[in-house]
Amino acid sequence: MLKIIIPTIMLIPLTWMSKPNMIWINTTTYGLLISLISLFYLNQPNDNTLNSSLMFFSDSLSAPLLALTTWLLPLMLMASQHHLSKEPLTRKKLYISMLILLQLFLIMTFTASELIFFYILFEATLIPTLIIITRWGNQTERLNAGLYFLFYTLMGSLPLLVALLYIHNFMGSLNFLMIQYWIQPLPNSWSNIFLWLACMMAFMVKMPLYGLHLWLPKAHVEAPIAGSMVLAAVLLKLGGYGMMRITTLLNPLTNFMAYPFMMLSLWGMIMTSSICLRQTDLKSLIAYSSVSHMALVIVAVLIQTPWSYMGATALMIAHGLTSSMLFCLANSNYERIHSRTMVLARGLQTLLPLMAAWWLLASLTNLALPPTINLIGELFVVMSSFSWSNTTIILMGINIIITALYSLYMLITTQRGKYSHHIKNIKPSFTRENALMTLHLLPLLLLSLNPKIILGPIY
Amino acid sequence: MKPPILIIIMATIMTGTMIVMLSSHWLLIWIGFEMNMLAIIPILMKKYNPRAMEASTKYFLTQATASMLLMMGVTINLLYSGQWVVSKISNPIASIMMTTALTMKLGLSPFHFWVPEVTQGITLMSGMILLTWQKIAPMSILYQISPSINTNLLMLMALTSVLVGGWGGLNQTQLRKIMAYSSIAHMGWMAAIITYNPTMMVLNLTLYILMTLSTFMLFMLNSSTTTLSLSHMWNKFPLITSMILILMLSLGGLPPLSGFIPKWMIIQELTKNNMIIIPTLMAITALLNLYFYLRLTYSTALTMFPSTNNMKMKWQFEYTKKATLLPPLIITSTMLLPLTPMLSVLD
Repeated sequence: MLKIIIPTIMLIPLTWMSKPNMIWINTTTYGLLISLISLFYLNQPNDNTLNSSLMFFSDSLSAPLLALTTWLLPLMLMASQHHLSKEPLTRKKLYISMLILLQLFLIMTFTASELIFFYILFEATLIPTLIIITRWGNQTERLNAGLYFLFYTLMGSLPLLVALLYIHNFMGSLNFLMIQYWIQPLPNSWSNIFLWLACMMAFMVKMPLYGLHLWLPKAHVEAPIAGSMVLAAVLLKLGGYGMMRITTLLNPLTNFMAYPFMMLSLWGMIMTSSICLRQTDLKSLIAYSSVSHMALVIVAVLIQTPWSYMGATALMIAHGLTSSMLFCLANSNYERIHSRTMVLARGLQTLLPLMAAWWLLASLTNLALPPTINLIGELFVVMSSFSWSNTTIILMGINIIITALYSLYMLITTQRGKYSHHIKNIKPSFTRENALMTLHLLPLLLLSLNPKIILGPIY
Repeated sequence: MKPPILIIIMATIMTGTMIVMLSSHWLLIWIGFEMNMLAIIPILMKKYNPRAMEASTKYFLTQATASMLLMMGVTINLLYSGQWVVSKISNPIASIMMTTALTMKLGLSPFHFWVPEVTQGITLMSGMILLTWQKIAPMSILYQISPSINTNLLMLMALTSVLVGGWGGLNQTQLRKIMAYSSIAHMGWMAAIITYNPTMMVLNLTLYILMTLSTFMLFMLNSSTTTLSLSHMWNKFPLITSMILILMLSLGGLPPLSGFIPKWMIIQELTKNNMIIIPTLMAITALLNLYFYLRLTYSTALTMFPSTNNMKMKWQFEYTKKATLLPPLIITSTMLLPLTPMLSVLD
């Protein structure tokens, strides 16, 4: 694992010592090279053996997420070039260093083999994200957004620390590889219920669960583009990944403790999808769509069947790429008209046809069109929740319809129809933006050809 | 103050604390406390204004009362055990009295009322000495009598201190008061763990002293005592602004900075002793602390505070204020987390 971590650390001296006109090129190129190294971990032999060192390991669950994280860094750098072009050099380098630091913590989080190490890095990812949102966001609401983001996550995760230390005393070790063999079923008692809650709430807040999702629209909307991308694509998946790891310790309590969260997620996904239909703010629409997709992942993880785990993993990767792409598209709008309101820039298809193609593909993947991996994820989740309880198919069906509705609403409002007359002066699409969209879309489409690698450890 | 006098006074302060730490005779400990207190009064009064005199008087009164209480505890212990050696205190009354006296010296709740007011009335340098050096002596005595301290009393004091330190600092804009409430909260964390694992208390004290020293030195570089003056720092010392950001997050106890080490270790020790709710409560209340540190970083590093245009164009001189040992202090206050496994040498 050090072959990814040390180059990522070395990216920081690279930014600070590059020539001023080369900082973006250098970091993007070397970031892409590092992402190529992480692809090696996707080659997992089918018998669930784990690549292991003393402190880091990777298995079929963390390898796709690792690849997603390392793939995203060059994309974030490419997306940030425009809005940072007017800043002084030191601030550009600081911004890039924050992104690289965040990347480093994320890589270490996904490959941590011990749960307390995972916890420390889970919290450590908050600091660069907070700095990126609060320092480089664009509106005054970003202060509130940073506070909500930090404190919601910390409130959830401090009980997790206590719970992990308690489990450490109880079981002797928290190394994930060893714990699998020492698990005893957790008897039903009040204190074990609180233990379950303490373990899960941190990840519920991070996912986010419907009742605790208030930080997400604020943080996603106020963050600069790189912040939004990494938040939507990777940081939410930290919650899903953590939940999948820690539910192995918490059987069989999950069978009945999951009910309230299932209710909240099932209802919440419909609620947040419906809110998307009434949004005027483009980024806010994408943020609520993230909540809706992540609610599906929560449902899948809480059901704990093999198909649902496969669906959850596939959905996490698919949603990461799709949501990041949608934020990039929204940002390309924002950079031209400096407003997030959807109706201000309509009919873009006549002006920027290639960008309209990317909008179309992104919206289609967002609504889970076959044969994309979004569909595979959603379909597996819908099928496994149907087997858990037949009635959920109604809710899932309504959700799929509403998702299609708002994705098409977003597409039609921004791309189709008569253009608003003041957008004739916008700049045409940069090659950088088209490259960005391609780099998001290409993995998404190629994975449809071989989804086996993202289906997780149960496959 | 003339240098020879300053040297003598500083030497007396240090000798006082040394005597407290090194003695095994209770009378000498009391003498050490008194030496320390009397010598620090002129340091607190360095600026000769009524506010400083009020602060020194309050400090003197509380510390003198605490010393007297300590002496009473010592005498009761003498009556019941017949000797003056510092060891396990068998009489519970004497133990409670000594604990109360020492917590009064430290500024733990409910004896915390003097800390913000005294810290506010004195200069930044004196405040630094007050909040760091003066904690060493009482803590060392608490360490030595730790087997006989009443756990319930100290745990109650610790919990209320963390709450008071968190809530009290919320409405402050004066930096010295913020540091005072931060000191109350950190002392609360230390007091919680003394009866279970005194070594963690020493760890927390060391890291707290390092972080507080760094913070005060950064404040002194700019001679800023209010949030407003701190917010003008982005123009003069942009690097120091980033340092303040990291240091405040470390004081708040965020991983992966070294402020997280004592919290992690203390929660670990408490859970090993079957206390689950108390560390959870303390950890969540520490978030209040984090809130006002974060507010400081918002006004300093992360936003541009509203200021006049004159403030935005300052001459950028090289700074000549001596910041002794500032780089190593900052490094140890923020990057010590990977060295946590070294704590195993204590086994």
